[in-house]
Amino acid sequence: MILLSISDLIGRFHPILVHLPIGILLLGCLFQLISRYPKFSGLKPAIPLTYLLGFLGAVCSCISGYLLSQSGDYDAGLVDVHQWLGIGTAAFSLFSYLMIQKAVREMFLNVTAAVLLMLITLTGHYGGSLTHGSDYLTAALGDAPEKGASAIPPVVNVQQAMVYTHMVQPLLKNRCYSCHGAEKQKGKLRLDSREFMLKGGEEGKALIPGSPEESALIKRLLLPISNEDHMPPKEKPQLSAQELALLEWWIKEGADLNKKVQDLKQTEKIKPVLLSFQTGAKKEAGKVLEIPVKEVGKADAKVIADLKAAGVVVIPVTGNSNYLSVSFVTARPSLSSLTLLKSLNEQLIWLNLANTDLGDKGMEIIAGFKNLVRINLTQTQITDQGLVQLKSINTLQYLNLTGTKITGKGLLALKGLKEIQQIYLYQSAVNKQDEQRLKKEFPKAILDFGGYQVPTTAKDTTEVKPAAAS
Amino acid sequence: MTRDELNAHRLVKEAKETELRSFTRRHFLKESAMGLGAIAMGSLLGSCNFGAKTNNPVLYDPAHPLLPKSPPYFGKAKSVIYLHMAGAPSQLELFDYKPELMKMDGQDCPPSLLAGKKFAFITGVPKMLGAQAQFAQHGQSRAWVSDNMPHFSTMVDEVSFLKAVSTDQFNHAPAQLLIHTGSARLGRPSIGSWATYGLGTENQNLPGYVVLTSGGSFPDAGKSIWGSGFLPSVYQGVQCRSEGDPVLFIKDPHGMSRDLRKASIDAINASNELEYANYNDPEILSRISQYEMAYRMQISAPEVMNINDEPAYIHEMYGTQPGKSSFANNVLLARKLVEKGVRFVQLFDWGWDAHGDGPNNSLNIGLKNKCRSTDKPITALLLDLKQRGLLDETLVVWGGEFGRTPMMENRNGIQNPYNGRDHHTEAFTMWMAGGGIKKGFTHGETDEIGYSALSGKVDPFDIQATILNQLGFNHEQFTYPFQGRPFRLTDVSGKVIQDIVA
Repeated sequence: MILLSISDLIGRFHPILVHLPIGILLLGCLFQLISRYPKFSGLKPAIPLTYLLGFLGAVCSCISGYLLSQSGDYDAGLVDVHQWLGIGTAAFSLFSYLMIQKAVREMFLNVTAAVLLMLITLTGHYGGSLTHGSDYLTAALGDAPEKGASAIPPVVNVQQAMVYTHMVQPLLKNRCYSCHGAEKQKGKLRLDSREFMLKGGEEGKALIPGSPEESALIKRLLLPISNEDHMPPKEKPQLSAQELALLEWWIKEGADLNKKVQDLKQTEKIKPVLLSFQTGAKKEAGKVLEIPVKEVGKADAKVIADLKAAGVVVIPVTGNSNYLSVSFVTARPSLSSLTLLKSLNEQLIWLNLANTDLGDKGMEIIAGFKNLVRINLTQTQITDQGLVQLKSINTLQYLNLTGTKITGKGLLALKGLKEIQQIYLYQSAVNKQDEQRLKKEFPKAILDFGGYQVPTTAKDTTEVKPAAAS
Repeated sequence: MTRDELNAHRLVKEAKETELRSFTRRHFLKESAMGLGAIAMGSLLGSCNFGAKTNNPVLYDPAHPLLPKSPPYFGKAKSVIYLHMAGAPSQLELFDYKPELMKMDGQDCPPSLLAGKKFAFITGVPKMLGAQAQFAQHGQSRAWVSDNMPHFSTMVDEVSFLKAVSTDQFNHAPAQLLIHTGSARLGRPSIGSWATYGLGTENQNLPGYVVLTSGGSFPDAGKSIWGSGFLPSVYQGVQCRSEGDPVLFIKDPHGMSRDLRKASIDAINASNELEYANYNDPEILSRISQYEMAYRMQISAPEVMNINDEPAYIHEMYGTQPGKSSFANNVLLARKLVEKGVRFVQLFDWGWDAHGDGPNNSLNIGLKNKCRSTDKPITALLLDLKQRGLLDETLVVWGGEFGRTPMMENRNGIQNPYNGRDHHTEAFTMWMAGGGIKKGFTHGETDEIGYSALSGKVDPFDIQATILNQLGFNHEQFTYPFQGRPFRLTDVSGKVIQDIVA
């Protein structure tokens, strides 16, 4: 048993050990090929020694490689080719060494070096295919998946997708096959067909249809990443929570190969998960409502500078956007500042005028800010007459009228604005009785009338005292 | 020695000293031009940024260090109010309902829970302790909250609970440092410093990062948990007081008029500008801008920090008493500051360390009183922000530095006189609300006695990553160069808790 594990250990050194003969022999070949130039002729005496050392290294690599191949984790066909090429390389390096000793013609030695070079390259290539997968090199040429991208290509209509073929299989292929597939079978496990999964590996069945919690596949995936047995190994790309949920769901529902998503039972929990695999789902999730999708040109830098000089806060909504957020937190919205804003009417989308002396006059200018998404008019002097100016700003989503003289009637004048999501009416003149009517006119909006109270109870004002010592 | 000799000796000595003094920094620079040149070359090459895709420009403009800036990505939250219950509140008496633990009440702790574990105070075999409070489910989200927080229990549909927060520090100071600065050791900038460094602040008349403390004592980690670490010092938290002058010495001294103050600041700045013209040290510009801000703050800070003029119903709502120093007053101030455009407000309330070693440190007396003094104001804060339309752009975070054990503390093996729990790092509860966080949601769960996390485990770095995410930063790209490498708040870990992001 111990002997076995020692041989196993030596085998595992193979991937390190091989680089020794590769390096030494490459150097030998290089010396041989350049020593024809007088400048490098001094290298000649080093060549036989290099070949000999390379040969010894190659023999060690062959032995360790053979031990590693006994683990059975690798594709037998590829191992065969790699093995014989490796032995060939070792033998040929010995041959090259002997030829130099025999002092044959220089031309012949150069040819020998070239052949050796080729052998090393081929052996190395097959060895690489064994560890990294045969498509390792070519994958870099094709359209490589984005780093951290989903392992499952998005489907157009998730309900129509084949669960296994379109979702589970690509997932396993991208995350598991490289070690548990046709070429490599770590732990004697293959995951590239249902039969293989049912058969399992050294640890037993990977897949038990109907009970994901018993299936080794799921158990290993669920282990914390710090656990040694966690899969995929922590340095490899991991499954996302959605991918894991999909796999669990597929196994729970019987691990069928030929069923569509719509054929399987869908719980409330799995529905959003499934939806996330649909085309455009990512875009939808990343979409920011508060920033318009359409592009806009850069704002006039001089106007921005003038506004800033007047104490107005003008900044892009995000670092790479041309849309602007403007706040009068430390400035008066004088007519001159507001007029300056006019030339930013394309870019201006968030406007904060809270706690300023803005009146209806100023609202006339604001009427022209056609892309406005958020406007905060808390504690301003505006009245219904001023508010009506907003009626053509169809993009408006957030309207804060806290502490203004706006009435229900005034607000109803904005009823054409169907995008409004939030309207704040705390301490305004809008009556709570108008709520139903307003709700009808602003179907998407949350109307917040505020006025919340936190009743004081006896407990709030008293202290718990320690019981008197008895 | 004759008098002449003595004088000559002195003259020689003086001449030598003068000569030595004339070797200035300039000489040093001149003499070592080659070596310095090579050093400069190195840093120049470094800044060429070979192969690096993103470069992280230093966001710091010394002349206007606090000017508002836009975040690199869309951030739902514009400001943060961080409520830190220093001393670590017991999750088992507040949010983590564990009926199984109740059944084990009074029994010896099973050895499996003690094997290989270290506690701050527990030694030997402690007894299990059931919840010292009554629990009920609340709101549409059916979240469990104990009767210690009757007001807050009406707010569960506004918040996202994190039920399985864990940390690796079981002492107050390092754990507080970890959660606020990303390192259990001193010297890193706090999260508020990072936020103001990255975003500046909207209101140039007020500090961008304000700290308010209550509970009679500073948090154990001291002022370093709002320090700026290696970031420029203008980004450190400014501690304000809710009693007396909001900032010490903010009033002009007796007999000094506002005009005279202005004149003296102008004079100081004029001479600083001369210095700057000579040396070009950007820190001088910072200093000038700080003097100017201090002058403006003399008017604006007392104004915003004055809660006397708030209407009676607001005082009733928050339970505030003007003129006193209290958590409630601080909470009301936090709302006022955020309304005025302050970026980051941090509240520390000391006294949650319910070990059971005294009545004020017990679950049945001290903890209950802490709850009574914070429950109403916190609830009022959420409601008030909501009705003013500010909650969706203000992130509110509540939590301690760690949790408490399901076991009753037995200090030095002897049962404590009152019911109490020891420090516990493996699982505790925090919550976030507003600022683009999901409403009425719970992330993570603990085992049946609340000892360790079963799912949804998060750590302080995840919380920091999430706060930065809500402000519009990718915590992995938001860095500051220091000691030859880029530093970030979350250092080498942290994952945004996507599950609680709306």
